[in-house]
Amino acid sequence: MTTDLIARPDPRSVAELVQKLCGDYGERAVTSQSVREHHSHGEGLADSALPDVVVFPHSNDEVAEIVRLCHLARVPVIAFGVGTSLEGHVAALYGGVCMDLSQMNGVLEVNAQDLDCRVQAGVTREQLNAELKGTGLFFPIDPGANATIGGMAATRASGTNAVRYGTMRENVLGLTVVAADGRIVKTGGRARKSSAGYDLTRLFVGAEGTLGVITEIQLRLYGVPEAIAAAVCQFPDLASAVNTVIAAMQTGIPVARIELLDDVQMDACIRYSKLEGFAPKPTLFFEFHGSPAGVREQSQAMQAISDEFGGSAYQWATQAEDRTRLWKARHAAYYAALALKPGAMGFATDACVPISRLADCILETKVDIEKSGLVAPIVGHVGDGNFHLVVLFDPNDAGQRERAEGLAKAVSLRAIAMGGTCTGEHGIGWHKLDVLAQEHGEAVDLMRAVKRALDPFNIMNPGKTVPL
Amino acid sequence: MLNPALLAALGNILPATSILTASEDTRPYECDGLTLFREEPNAVLLPENEAQVVAILKLCHAARLPVVARGAGTGLSGGALPDRNGVILSLAKFMRILAIDPLACTATVQPGVRNLAISEAAAPHDLFYAPDPSSQIACTIGGNVAENSGGVHCLKYGLTVHNVRRVRAVLITGDVVEFGGEALDSPGYDLLALICGSEGLLAVITEVTVKLTPKPQDARCVLAAFDDVVKAGAAVAAIIGAGIIPAGLEMMDRLTISAVEPFVHAGYPQNAAAILLCEADGTPEEVAEEVAVVNRLMAQSGATLIEVSRDEKQRERFWSGRKAAFGAAGRISPDYYCTDGTIPRRALAAVLQRIGELSEQFGLPCMNVFHAGDGNLHPLILYDANRPGDAARTQAFGTKILELCVEVGGTITGEHGVGVEKMGDMCMQFAPAELERFLGVKSAFDAEGLLNPGKAVPTLHRCAEMGRMHVHRGALPHPELPRF
Repeated sequence: MTTDLIARPDPRSVAELVQKLCGDYGERAVTSQSVREHHSHGEGLADSALPDVVVFPHSNDEVAEIVRLCHLARVPVIAFGVGTSLEGHVAALYGGVCMDLSQMNGVLEVNAQDLDCRVQAGVTREQLNAELKGTGLFFPIDPGANATIGGMAATRASGTNAVRYGTMRENVLGLTVVAADGRIVKTGGRARKSSAGYDLTRLFVGAEGTLGVITEIQLRLYGVPEAIAAAVCQFPDLASAVNTVIAAMQTGIPVARIELLDDVQMDACIRYSKLEGFAPKPTLFFEFHGSPAGVREQSQAMQAISDEFGGSAYQWATQAEDRTRLWKARHAAYYAALALKPGAMGFATDACVPISRLADCILETKVDIEKSGLVAPIVGHVGDGNFHLVVLFDPNDAGQRERAEGLAKAVSLRAIAMGGTCTGEHGIGWHKLDVLAQEHGEAVDLMRAVKRALDPFNIMNPGKTVPL
Repeated sequence: MLNPALLAALGNILPATSILTASEDTRPYECDGLTLFREEPNAVLLPENEAQVVAILKLCHAARLPVVARGAGTGLSGGALPDRNGVILSLAKFMRILAIDPLACTATVQPGVRNLAISEAAAPHDLFYAPDPSSQIACTIGGNVAENSGGVHCLKYGLTVHNVRRVRAVLITGDVVEFGGEALDSPGYDLLALICGSEGLLAVITEVTVKLTPKPQDARCVLAAFDDVVKAGAAVAAIIGAGIIPAGLEMMDRLTISAVEPFVHAGYPQNAAAILLCEADGTPEEVAEEVAVVNRLMAQSGATLIEVSRDEKQRERFWSGRKAAFGAAGRISPDYYCTDGTIPRRALAAVLQRIGELSEQFGLPCMNVFHAGDGNLHPLILYDANRPGDAARTQAFGTKILELCVEVGGTITGEHGVGVEKMGDMCMQFAPAELERFLGVKSAFDAEGLLNPGKAVPTLHRCAEMGRMHVHRGALPHPELPRF
């Protein structure tokens, strides 16, 4: 079976296909340069690989029909949500058809009693939560960006809440997917658990569009907690902050969010977001969810631990606006970091290690940063063992850029050596293809075999996730 | 019988005592917990290390010999039923707990380690392994991974797939692979999730790293009795709808109570139509609060009796009845057939009523004991294998129940797996496009179909034979396949 694909599809097939799509979809098939450019990249470092046409389908059947045509013509298909991915996920490396699912944005059903809902792939998470207001339910996964649910499922998104609510892996109950041959497949379902057949739901979640196009998602929902309180605690040094986190995880306190900002990041956030009452020291941001008594209990337990490690008194934010301000500052970390050196660019790293190695990993990383002489603030969802650096460099200084790349690489290698991964949540996309082989060895052959079995002509987001 | 050349080759890998071929030695392996189907194996192999497993699989691959892996043989869907032409590969000797990391909250163990043994080993660190199938004193973790086992506590703590970090396994080619890792998430395709619930069809598991959970400080069980099954169902919905995720939420009906209570003396009121067991765990304050809310909701739903466990002993006694339910069925009937469907919670009361009607229709009593919190039913159909026609009526009754589950938007198996038992029903739940994806995945791992053949995932041909393929928009799928 010939499975290795073509570097680029036959230009005539592409032209014919584009013509057919423009004929069938009219205004909803666009070939203008600017729209194609917009659909050639996500966030993070820019790539410029443009698709040949961008189509805006409205239904599962339309998606299926488009994929079927691409299958027949052997032309690549790349699904697109709102373009917030970080590792070159949507770059059309071999051209082809970009399918923008943002107009498939209906919340199809909300089952309050069963704590689940079904949405079309183009629904954004903020839209979903807005629609859920008044039902007493919410969808907690918060990767920072206002991504589409389809994109979040495809990249197995995580975020600040994962320590308590899990990632998309735990929260997608079922999918409707258009497979590589254009057939519509349903996986999972409304039952809370099922052991029928292979777990195709989890196979498609995190496959980054390389096995099929996700068009509908059945999501698990949670009751909005009665009480939510956020607190900030500052520490004399980085080790105390990290050790507090490790101790907290061990006691099983069901903290909803626990974020670490080192002194450099805290300094950046204070300046950028105009936070008051804080010093540029290693800091933990906590959030507790539960009944009022539960929240009290959790925070008391956490305080006892942070006291042991020399943490400051807690500064509380219980009003929604205060909490929002705090988390906005945290989410703006990347921009705050860039603002430390105006004109600088940054490499983001995404290491995740077993929690027992977290302290060593972060402290050794801090030493590396100091030796490099570069500015690289550290921020992370340390409850999961996951942290990010933004390594700043002057784009006009080749030597600095090289040292920045070297530092980023050292962080990744250290994470792998400690039994972790160098892509905790940003996925692989295109930029981290070599990571997979490093981290997984033999299993990569299996991933290739699965890819070939489900997409023999390699039209589904080719060149991404699993190196063929 | 295996040919002599093959036996000799196996003799180069394993000592003679680890190769069972005599009938009296292989008989115990002729079935697992699904005793309805039996097949005496040609041979049972008992390796004790991974190198032997690798060598055995390479040999079987070359000889095109089917291989069925087996843990403790407690499975309920026939996943370890021997293949007529193949061998049983028992992992029973892989019994070591290799490492416990209390900081990372993980334990690395061999596949033959019993589920409960993991919690016992983790106890000194105030940790436990959460998924607790009722067979946990006997079942092995390798089997748990293969079947994606659940249990009473999976409502709050998740299934096996949610509690496994890493699996090391051997493919039919002899290649050793690792899925997952020590860290929380792993890039690339989620092959770890794929292995969970793959019922021995994709690889033979040789090592598992599980997630351990901190032991809750306190746990209380609320026992509530109802004079009407519908009211009990409404209580379940109310509890979940209130945003509570109890550590366990189980229901038992009148027939079950009458089987269990005289034998276990758990304190269940014998005249109740249904009882609920609802457990809250966590810190003492959290537990007290949750118990208060549950009490209120049970009362509001019309409970005729509500009791809260006073201490650990009483809590365990409340649960003992539930855990012994299947065994207790043996007191009131010579045989039982346990089915395992899962439905959306809201359909609970309606489905129970319908099962009651079907029981009358088929003339067979049916005990209902199940994980009400996640809608996972275990109707136990009581019959007598020696009475002509009973077994057939039982299977028909079971199928009707599963059809009902799928009809209301559920699944044919919540946790017991498909095995041989539900192959036909797979055609009911999945359309050809989906089955083709399954077969695609299988072909990536085991192109020759040697690992546990004839289980779990039916071929399209078979679906046509069962007459069960979805007709979509009037067009028969795969018209080229003959229907019978």
